[in-house]
Amino acid sequence: MRISFYLNGEETHVEVPSERRFVDVLREDLGLTGTKESCGAGECGACTILVDGQARLSCLMAAAQLQGRRVTTIEGLAADGSLHPVQEAFIEYGAVQCGFCTPGVVLAAVHLLDRNPDPTREQIREGLSGNLCRCSGYVKIVDAVEAAARKMRGGTPQ
Amino acid sequence: MSIRMLEVGYPAPRFDARAKVTGEGKYAVDHSREDTLWAGAKRAGIAHGIIRGIDTSAARALPGVYAVLTRKDITGTNRQGIVHKDQPVLAGEKVRHCGDPVALVLAEDRDILKKALSLIRVDIEPLPGVFDPEKALKPEAPRVHETGNILQNAVISIGNALESFNKCDIIVEDSFAVPGQEHAFLETENGLAWRESDGRIVMVVSTQAPFRDRFEIAHALGLEVDAIRVISPHLGGGFGGKDGSTVQCLLALAALHAGGRSVKMWWEREESFIAGYKRHPVRMRYRLGAMRDGALHALECGLIYDTGPYAHLGVEVMALGMEHAGGPYRIPNTFIEGWCVYTNNPISGAMRGFGVCQASFGIERMMDLLASKLGMSRLDIRLKNALRRGDRNCAGVTLVHSTGIVPCLETLGRHSLWMESGKWKGAAGPFKRRGVGIAAVSNAMGYGRGLPDSAIAKVELTREGKIRVYSGVPDMGQGNSSAFVQIAGEILSQDASGMELIQPDTDRTLPSGSSSAGRTTYTYGNALIQACKELKEKLLHRTALMLMLDEARGLTLLPGKVRHLPSGREVPLELLGRFFPETDRIVVNQFIMPVAQDNVDTGKEFKIGFPHVFFSYAAHLAYVEVDELTGKVDVKGYLAVTEGGRIINPSGFEQQVHGAVAQGIGYGLMEEVLLDEGRILNPNFTNYIIPTSLDIPEITSVSVEMVESAEPFGMKGVGEVGTNAPLPAIAGGVEDAVGRRLSRSPLTAESMLRAMDRGPGVIE
Amino acid sequence: MRDVILPGSLNELWRCFEDKPQAAVYAGGTDLLVGVRHGLLNPEALICLDRIEELKGVGERGGSIRIGSCATHVQLLDDPLITSHLPVLWQAIRGIGSPLVRNMGTIGGNICTASPAGDTLPPLYALRAEVELGSKEGSRRMPIAEFIMRPGATRLQRAEILAGVWVKKPGEYNLHHFEKVGLRNALACSVVSMAALLRLAPDGAVEKASLAWGSAGPTIVTCPEAEEALIGKPLSTEPLQEAAALVRKAVSPISDVRADADYRRIVAGNLLLRLANVLK
Repeated sequence: MRISFYLNGEETHVEVPSERRFVDVLREDLGLTGTKESCGAGECGACTILVDGQARLSCLMAAAQLQGRRVTTIEGLAADGSLHPVQEAFIEYGAVQCGFCTPGVVLAAVHLLDRNPDPTREQIREGLSGNLCRCSGYVKIVDAVEAAARKMRGGTPQ
Repeated sequence: MSIRMLEVGYPAPRFDARAKVTGEGKYAVDHSREDTLWAGAKRAGIAHGIIRGIDTSAARALPGVYAVLTRKDITGTNRQGIVHKDQPVLAGEKVRHCGDPVALVLAEDRDILKKALSLIRVDIEPLPGVFDPEKALKPEAPRVHETGNILQNAVISIGNALESFNKCDIIVEDSFAVPGQEHAFLETENGLAWRESDGRIVMVVSTQAPFRDRFEIAHALGLEVDAIRVISPHLGGGFGGKDGSTVQCLLALAALHAGGRSVKMWWEREESFIAGYKRHPVRMRYRLGAMRDGALHALECGLIYDTGPYAHLGVEVMALGMEHAGGPYRIPNTFIEGWCVYTNNPISGAMRGFGVCQASFGIERMMDLLASKLGMSRLDIRLKNALRRGDRNCAGVTLVHSTGIVPCLETLGRHSLWMESGKWKGAAGPFKRRGVGIAAVSNAMGYGRGLPDSAIAKVELTREGKIRVYSGVPDMGQGNSSAFVQIAGEILSQDASGMELIQPDTDRTLPSGSSSAGRTTYTYGNALIQACKELKEKLLHRTALMLMLDEARGLTLLPGKVRHLPSGREVPLELLGRFFPETDRIVVNQFIMPVAQDNVDTGKEFKIGFPHVFFSYAAHLAYVEVDELTGKVDVKGYLAVTEGGRIINPSGFEQQVHGAVAQGIGYGLMEEVLLDEGRILNPNFTNYIIPTSLDIPEITSVSVEMVESAEPFGMKGVGEVGTNAPLPAIAGGVEDAVGRRLSRSPLTAESMLRAMDRGPGVIE
Repeated sequence: MRDVILPGSLNELWRCFEDKPQAAVYAGGTDLLVGVRHGLLNPEALICLDRIEELKGVGERGGSIRIGSCATHVQLLDDPLITSHLPVLWQAIRGIGSPLVRNMGTIGGNICTASPAGDTLPPLYALRAEVELGSKEGSRRMPIAEFIMRPGATRLQRAEILAGVWVKKPGEYNLHHFEKVGLRNALACSVVSMAALLRLAPDGAVEKASLAWGSAGPTIVTCPEAEEALIGKPLSTEPLQEAAALVRKAVSPISDVRADADYRRIVAGNLLLRLANVLK
């Protein structure tokens, strides 16, 4: 089946079985290995992508479902080479250890901040509660998202 | 991006963070080649039995199946293992756990692979299995191996414990049990392998020990060690579960039979549970005697480690656990006995906290019990007995290096979280009971005596004028690769833009042991320090040559160049790089970690891994809330005070502490490999649950820095010590909240409710 | 591999059914696709309802609220009709899975999966919700308690879908409460749960009660005896304990990897005690 969608801003077509898991389309057919797989059952969030701006689990989407949708993967987050504030904050605040959960968490955080630009730490935790991290204990991830939110609201002192 | 400073002690951002945050960085699982076959193992599905036959005909006949291999396709010993080589690559006669592989399929894609695996018929005549390690000790128990079920029995003993109990004013006794824990790294076991035209096998694999992997593969499959090249990119987590061959032997076998095509093996989550390694379940029995004033006098304990069907690192895990069974305390008389026992449960192996995590639960709960019987504060009894530099530990080893448990406890005692805990407890809402618990722990660094803890660093000035560090030891997320860049950058005065890093590759980097035991930054770091100093000397001398100076005085390294201070003349590093041949631009240096010098007359059964001489220390405080209606236990606040010698990177230090605490909280509250006759009942993330962001509280991390004067940079590994404290701290908090002692983990709502419904002070 | 078809309208959907009568239907896929991956079900094809607008949205019809079966959990959390009229349902949806699951999963899926641990179910039972089933032939309605027969089984016929859920605005209640007990604080399958709708008189006495429990039996458990026992009493320990004892007799939980039956039985009753403090 030919499926057409927007991938990181560009019109994209793939010829794949309609049932093919979208995470496999991304990683294998399109060579975009930034999106990870860790459980295949929607229980870990490693496969998180944005579909029409909303964070979703690509391991639980059939390719056919992406027809006409706007997809953002981690590779598409940095606009023309400069990092998204969430990405920068993750680096600066030490929120990256093994990094395997990072693409999923970053995209989930981007969606969270889109819905709620000024979240409390508890709200950040809730917003990221579908993304498992085995390395960090989440504290620095929350620090990073809080800082990114502040920067995106323009709150950084000059 | 701003220039990133690289100085030791500075919280420099991780060198690899950008690649990870953009998705550019490739893990082993992200590597691919053209024309790859997929390999997968057919597993026994039954815990103990004799293989009567394997029918692969239907699988072979399936279109898209390239090959189906069994034991008879293996030339070589068919035995893998780190110390004891007792684990078959493909079981030929007998299966000893549900995950034992009996056949290997190579197929064009994953769907065909799955179908083929389902078509393989294995005829196994079941044997009675042994699933209880205490039952396994009995002579009439089914034998997992012909040699019997005891892999190792050992004693660590100092003084005369059994008689010393008579002198004690008070004696307390208790028993404990902890289950198996899953590493649950997000990147499951995987690798990609192919055979080059010269016959060499190349493998890109998620591994903690690339150099040793070659030996395991060679021994198992009858190959030459140097005919195998292992490349180890950054791991998506390891925690000990990727120490020792996971996919490597099977993958190499597949590559040998793939007709030159590349082969990929990637364990899905369920297979990772069934076939992967676990933390040892342990049963413990403790007897602790003390004087009226709280001074510990005698310890007797028995520890039974369930190692599953194969040794892996079972003896070493038990040895370390026994070495820490007395906690970070001065106990003049100890008798610590351990049994490392084979069962038909899943394979137990290395996991962060390596045997110590389990024993820490035992000794710390005993300290709380003693405190309550003596009417002493839990903090005071620990301070009173805490080891200081120059003391002997419970194994009789003199602590000649930094021993910071006292400052950790003192810092905890002064912290507002401890001082204001009463106020917090008093503010419990309806149906909530609050308590706090503390734990004092230590964790040895390094391999210990008997196995040289060695690393060989290689550093190069490239032709382009960059400083390239060839790391010999994998980075599984602990950030050692960043630490290496930071160390090299500091010595050679370069910033991040002037640095390059090569991750372990057995063809390009040099053997540096495994990524484990909290040793990598210390051991490789020390080798690197020396290598960088030599490289610095060399670069200054070569610059003197280029500038026609009689000597190298007045020359200094700066980012990207060397400057002659008296004259102001400069030589860019890339000029140096082009001027001198490669062999003159590389420095190699080896370091071996010092070992204990005491001749302890105990623990003789342990040929390797005992004793140790460097220890990191920590004191933790857990704020615990119990719901009276549901029994649910929540950790609402946490303080970790850690002493790990000199801190290379404060951010990295904190990262390790946070992560260790989180794994410890999971171990304490919710993680348990559930077994029924050796079969895992929860081989998935639905029913084997690890903490989410809503399950871990804010963690306050305080470091106590003690400069280790013996060695340059004087740091100690802190990756593991933090995992040992949460369970006992939470258990202490639960006892403080509801007056019930739980002696089995995890501390689930169900076990809590059951304990509360019984009478006061009942031990589960 | 199977075909995955995305009809754009109900008429297209009926045609799909004619074409693939054995097809399985899903919207978010967070339950069904997992089941398919694990080989628990093997349908000839998959039909995804994601593009059918008639199945989405929340609307008011007179004194009732109609929730489209393909409304996602997050859409319901954001919907003013749900937040203002159905707080008990809102509280339950908030705890389903994770934000990612809530972005994809639908109320229709939660109902049709018919797990006793489905978190929308206790509130829907307490609200006496009705399901609207649609097929080429037209539509029919029935109480949700009649629709769900046992774990995994509903009265859906072949070529029929759950089109919507109808709830009469519960204006007669002034206290909405839901609690879910899980083994962790997110991504947790309910071990036992309770939905409660109460009307309290100005003096605090219970005038009306509608209660329902999840994960305490093969389907959602209701206990009229417990509701009766609370009438005229305040929400204080003694009357709640008496009602709790009745609840413990009414539930029939199982033991599984998550919890023992005994634990579920005890806690099902205990959850009533929480009501003593919900007003404070």
